[in-house]
Amino acid sequence: MPIIEVRALSYSYPDSTRPSIQDVNLTVDMGEFVLITGPSGCGKTTFCRCLNGLIPNSYGGTFNGNVIVDGLLTTEHQVFEIAQHVGLVFQNPENELFCTTVEREVAFGPENLALPRDEIRSRVEEALSVVGISQLLDKSPEELSGGEQQKVAIAALLAMKPRMLVLDEPTANLDPLSARSVLKILSSLNTESDVTIILVEHRLEMVAHMANRCVIFDDGKLVLSGEPSDVLYSDMVDRIGIGIPKAVQVAKRLALNSKFGKRPLSSLELADIIMLKGDKG
Amino acid sequence: MILFEDVSYSYAPGRYALEHVNLSIGEAELVAILGENGAGKTTLVKHINGLLRPQIGKVTVYGIDTKTSTVAALARKVGLVFQNPDHQLFAETVEKELAFALVNFGMPLLGTSSGVDWAIKEFELNQYRERPPFLLSGGERKRLALASVLCYNPQILILDEPTTGQDSRQKSRLANLLKRLNREGKTVIVVTHDMEFVADFIPRVVMLSKGRVIAEGLAEEILTNRELLMSASLLPPQLAELSWDLTLKKPSIDLEQVISEASSLLGGSPR
Amino acid sequence: MKVLYGFEYRRGTSVIHKIDPRSKLAYVILFTALTVYFVNPLVLLLVLSSSFPIVLISRIANRWIQSIKGSLLFIAFIFIFNFIGIVWATGSIWGAVTSGISMSIRFIALISIFSVFFLTTSPEDLTQSMVQMRIPYDYALTFNMAMRFVPTLSREAQIIMDAQRSRGLEMEKGNLIQRIRNYIPVLIPLIISSFRRAELVADAMESRAFGASKKRSSLYILKMENRDTLFFAISVASFLLLLSLKLVLGIQ
Repeated sequence: MPIIEVRALSYSYPDSTRPSIQDVNLTVDMGEFVLITGPSGCGKTTFCRCLNGLIPNSYGGTFNGNVIVDGLLTTEHQVFEIAQHVGLVFQNPENELFCTTVEREVAFGPENLALPRDEIRSRVEEALSVVGISQLLDKSPEELSGGEQQKVAIAALLAMKPRMLVLDEPTANLDPLSARSVLKILSSLNTESDVTIILVEHRLEMVAHMANRCVIFDDGKLVLSGEPSDVLYSDMVDRIGIGIPKAVQVAKRLALNSKFGKRPLSSLELADIIMLKGDKG
Repeated sequence: MILFEDVSYSYAPGRYALEHVNLSIGEAELVAILGENGAGKTTLVKHINGLLRPQIGKVTVYGIDTKTSTVAALARKVGLVFQNPDHQLFAETVEKELAFALVNFGMPLLGTSSGVDWAIKEFELNQYRERPPFLLSGGERKRLALASVLCYNPQILILDEPTTGQDSRQKSRLANLLKRLNREGKTVIVVTHDMEFVADFIPRVVMLSKGRVIAEGLAEEILTNRELLMSASLLPPQLAELSWDLTLKKPSIDLEQVISEASSLLGGSPR
Repeated sequence: MKVLYGFEYRRGTSVIHKIDPRSKLAYVILFTALTVYFVNPLVLLLVLSSSFPIVLISRIANRWIQSIKGSLLFIAFIFIFNFIGIVWATGSIWGAVTSGISMSIRFIALISIFSVFFLTTSPEDLTQSMVQMRIPYDYALTFNMAMRFVPTLSREAQIIMDAQRSRGLEMEKGNLIQRIRNYIPVLIPLIISSFRRAELVADAMESRAFGASKKRSSLYILKMENRDTLFFAISVASFLLLLSLKLVLGIQ
């Protein structure tokens, strides 16, 4: 059942002559984990903003095509309506968190919805618990690490009870360990809480095996879409200039795909194949 | 020649950002300062151009004690490129932006020795010459920030987290530039937590953890040392992890080497 | 930029921190009025000293001093210009000195009163108190945001200064005009960065359904308790006492 339908989407920012995205078509079903990647400036951020209505409602510009999220046509609904179905997480938590305690931060969304106080409290507790940061309730976001801040941002959006989360390079400013911690939460949100995840990410080696679909943008166009193993093992992807996981690079050079039909996405998967095949000689 | 002698620095009483740091970086070195967020990397490099002065110990750059020198005098030899280009760019045009440091140092703006013309050529900024910096794209602004520091030709170049927000092609380009500058004799110091970038491109590593230098030496050795990486709360580079998963006798961060070892484990030769 | 430290809210456990912002706001308004009402330097000193017990009880002395220290330069300016102005107008040196002193104390008193308020009041409590006083949420939120981003701005200003100094900018060099011009490479990135940030924060807020309801609810409501009423009463009483100095004794 599609939860996102994008048809012939093209968009140019107000003072720009070049379109940031051109003729993009994408359908996402409920429960999917879609990984979006591509070189810098390829339109990924713009696309994310189209998914929760910020474009075109807040940004203006020239918008063509249709974006339907959870049944809502984005051009006919306000951002605050769409925000209850799609949660958008940005790159820099410093510009996302603006309250003095984590509790108030996570409560901000439900407060905007004018929910009764008990409901707000229970949503805050639940959101923090799902993300695993209940102990941070009384802390000030300023004293948290980057990784913790992003988790707070995720919790703040989960408190809106959206059916899907769109995350635009959420680990860009994090060190690798924090990045991995945040990405693991996304994976469990997807598998255990049934949240549809659209993730724009460069660190493919950490997420390729979590996603069931990989979409590549290049120069504003959607150029590849398919299972991560199909996409990352294609020839086109080498020419585009994205950070292909080392395990995939090694596997490609060893011709594991053509020799054995194996396309490992992670270091462990690769090691398993080699050890097994190696034993057989 | 940069020398840290038993340097300690604290921002707030009781908590030391740097503790008993001893470090020497020589001419024409290409070195990465590695560590998790908060380990003290930025604090360390701010001592090299005098933005910070050690509370205990001494830092000397080309024989000059940083405590006896101004930031401007040290900056003449030490170029520091900050992580966020938007913290630097302010001029009306790209050309004026590049000229800023030259003006501050009293260096010539025109002529064959002009750093501005060199930078415009080197970084392919000619089409943007008369444009305001803040109208450029994110990646272009990052390049401009680097260009504006390089154009006054400092002997030592320090970059703070230069790879954030860069895709793999941009990172390769950056690495090639840094290697070339290093071959030309510059000392290049990269402050980062990007393990892949270091593993792929930078031969020497200084590893910081909680304000202390816990390791120094060849990237090949340090980045394949599991215990060391764990104690510094650092994620190993992908090839190191792969080496361990394959139980290679000699773990490596060199792609060709890992491929060759993996291939012999498979019992054949690679494509 | 250090002066900004004297106005940033920090969480604290003192009684003053817990007092309802409306009571504290009453104190600020009443005593600000007093600073404008009086010219006598001794009375102004009394007004200034009203903030001392608050500073002591709330244990914010370190930060509060920053606000005073940071504004000393400005106070010197005020004194000098006022001095010149009065001497020019009346030729009286003594008059100029006393006037200058009064002006300076008045300014310090204002800084001090506002400093203790902002140091001990969380932006959200302030916003909530404004909402409960029937000020539209949008206006109250503007206030909240301004307060919340002051620390961010001061941090950024420091980074920008470091970055520009690393390119050879010497802030302290040159005559007065040159020194003011030296701030351009610091102010411009700060302003542009603030605009960018404003857009991003707006995006983040909209993404959490900001604007969804005409009347939003609130997790925490402010209720006046005994200590709040007491603080209010003390403020009003001191206000009236000082006021009587003029009304009854005729002190200006």
